Amino acid sequence: MPVSFRYTPGVGNTAFFEALRDRGVFLGSRCADCAVTYLPARIFCERCFASLTPDIECGPEGVVVSWTVAHVGIDGERLDPAVTYCLVQLDGADTVLLHRLLGQADIGARVRAMLSEDRTGAIGDLQGFAPA
Amino acid sequence: MTGRRVAVVGAGMTRFVRRAQETGKELAFQASKAALDAAELRLADVDAVCLTSAPDAFDGVHRKGDYLADGAGAWGKPFIRTYVGGGSGVFTAIQGWYTVASGQADVVLCVAEEKMSSCQPHPQGAFLTIFDNIIERPLGPNLLWIFALEMQRYMDRYGLDKRDIASVAVKNKRNAAGHPAALLGQADITVEDVLASEVLAWPVQRLDVSPISDGAVALVLASEDAARRLTDRPVWVQGVGWNLDSTYWTNRDLVYPEYVENAARMAYAMAGVTEPRKQIHVAEPYDPFDYKELHHLEGLLLFDKGKAPEAAAAGVTARDGDLPCCPSGGLLGVGNPIAAAGLMKIAELFWQLRGEAGERQVPGTPERGVAQAWGDLMQVGTVVVMGTEDARTDAAGATADQPATMLGPTPLSDAAFRAAAGAVETDLDVRYAWDPGEVMGAFLDALREGRILATICTACGRTLVPPRAFCERCFRPTDGWTEVAATGTVETFSICHVTWDMRPLEVPELPAVIRLEGSSDGGFLHKLGDVEPSAIRIGMPVEAVWRPIAERTGSILDIAHFRPRETA
Repeated sequence: MPVSFRYTPGVGNTAFFEALRDRGVFLGSRCADCAVTYLPARIFCERCFASLTPDIECGPEGVVVSWTVAHVGIDGERLDPAVTYCLVQLDGADTVLLHRLLGQADIGARVRAMLSEDRTGAIGDLQGFAPA
Repeated sequence: MTGRRVAVVGAGMTRFVRRAQETGKELAFQASKAALDAAELRLADVDAVCLTSAPDAFDGVHRKGDYLADGAGAWGKPFIRTYVGGGSGVFTAIQGWYTVASGQADVVLCVAEEKMSSCQPHPQGAFLTIFDNIIERPLGPNLLWIFALEMQRYMDRYGLDKRDIASVAVKNKRNAAGHPAALLGQADITVEDVLASEVLAWPVQRLDVSPISDGAVALVLASEDAARRLTDRPVWVQGVGWNLDSTYWTNRDLVYPEYVENAARMAYAMAGVTEPRKQIHVAEPYDPFDYKELHHLEGLLLFDKGKAPEAAAAGVTARDGDLPCCPSGGLLGVGNPIAAAGLMKIAELFWQLRGEAGERQVPGTPERGVAQAWGDLMQVGTVVVMGTEDARTDAAGATADQPATMLGPTPLSDAAFRAAAGAVETDLDVRYAWDPGEVMGAFLDALREGRILATICTACGRTLVPPRAFCERCFRPTDGWTEVAATGTVETFSICHVTWDMRPLEVPELPAVIRLEGSSDGGFLHKLGDVEPSAIRIGMPVEAVWRPIAERTGSILDIAHFRPRETA
């Protein structure tokens, strides 16, 4: 199909990406009533519909919740080297972030966010998580 | 009455904008929160959520239903997304009605979202695959073609004046000038402005068409007990109806939307409406194009066939006319974030019947209204009848609340959209290959030999072009093949000046539906050639111009085009 899509990050993710780009921090938002901190930041709580403000800094360290090693790409091609992905719960957050695992770390291990020097305000500003 | 009684107790909407900064989830949240606030409810009070959104290819999110679920308040709740193309917005209220009427839920949130701005270079790209992949898409059709073909046929049958049709665009854009959510409200627009606007696909001009938009709308439905507890002014869902015509759109009578009539009769019967012209006081027919409002008003049995245009031009459908139609401003004025625009019509009836429509309020005390939407491949009608039932106790216009709280969204300029931090641009890098199947394969093989084949159904006596393996009416296999002539007449045509992504064409294209001699139900889509566009007439005899045998490939393009045929 001769169409492409341009996805803009919306209100919550714009606050998240600008904080990541400009200050190198991970911005979340907290619903005090539900006692949940969402990361990346959201502008509403999906549980109670409260309006939320993106003002909670999380990380840069966190805990591996799960991981996998991808040997096959989306077109079925072999990946060499294989790529390790992980779900990380950053300190202060109740939700997890998907990204690359740089090195080895098992479930429960502590990892640290590795940021790029030249950041543009995109998920690639985070290179991945490395053992802390 | 079917099932438990169901009422609307709250409605909310975002502004409709060309590009919203908000994501689809955030748009859905804004509308949902506004509707809950209007009903003075918390999310915890909601038992189930019914959501709709038009093609996934607008937002570029496959599985748009569950993607939007958190913004629609569906966390941890029974949730369903329904989808019938442009008819979806009204249908999601029907789904909400079901969910309450069945006794499965007392309070249901209905949410409709659309974010069309993500689709590049133009959201019409999402519609390219609605046409038949084997015998229509090789011709390069775009969505404007089918509207233009239908409008032309409607105008021809009744000898309609395009000025009368343009009066609908004028009325709706003027009505929208009083709507705080409107994208294209314009108090001083005239029929001359519409008639002078750029011709896209004759007879469709720029201002005959509703604008691409982002936005969301939400509604709270409640059971009778819950509704009486929540408000002293419930607006009852009195009737619901929906109906689908044949997918073989070139076989349909494009003059009259029978499926809308069928849906309306279903809804009227449930509502006890026996004389709609007396019993319906306000209407929100679906108006993505100005002629569609008129088409639909006739299908809703509110005007005689072919008579809605002159009534519209005479002011009968104006906000202060005998039958106010689209007092909201409709899709032409408020905007057309497709699914959201349909649900907006239900929300407008809610506000109108409660006397809360502010500047848009129709005079008097309307007690019953009808909302309708339309979609899929121009074939589905969805209809909801709503009413106050008990005479309104407040004096007319006593309350003039604007639609809930307008929470947003934030409009983005094109430059801001292009420069947004964190934005991601992705090609939809997939290709499809379609096998024609057995019957269409035989049809294509015959084209290579210069013959046009049809299948026959002896049960209903039809000779079917395009051919099919089974008769969709009798639901039995067809009985064999026959050959039809490569001659026929022009059923309807258009002169199209733009591509699907709105680039101007130097040489206009001439799509037409050809009624083939020997076919009982019409024929197929093709193009005209060897003719001056100004000389084309509906009913004109034409013949197929075949490509040289060596160049034929077993494709609909083995017919180069149809040209005028000399008749004795």
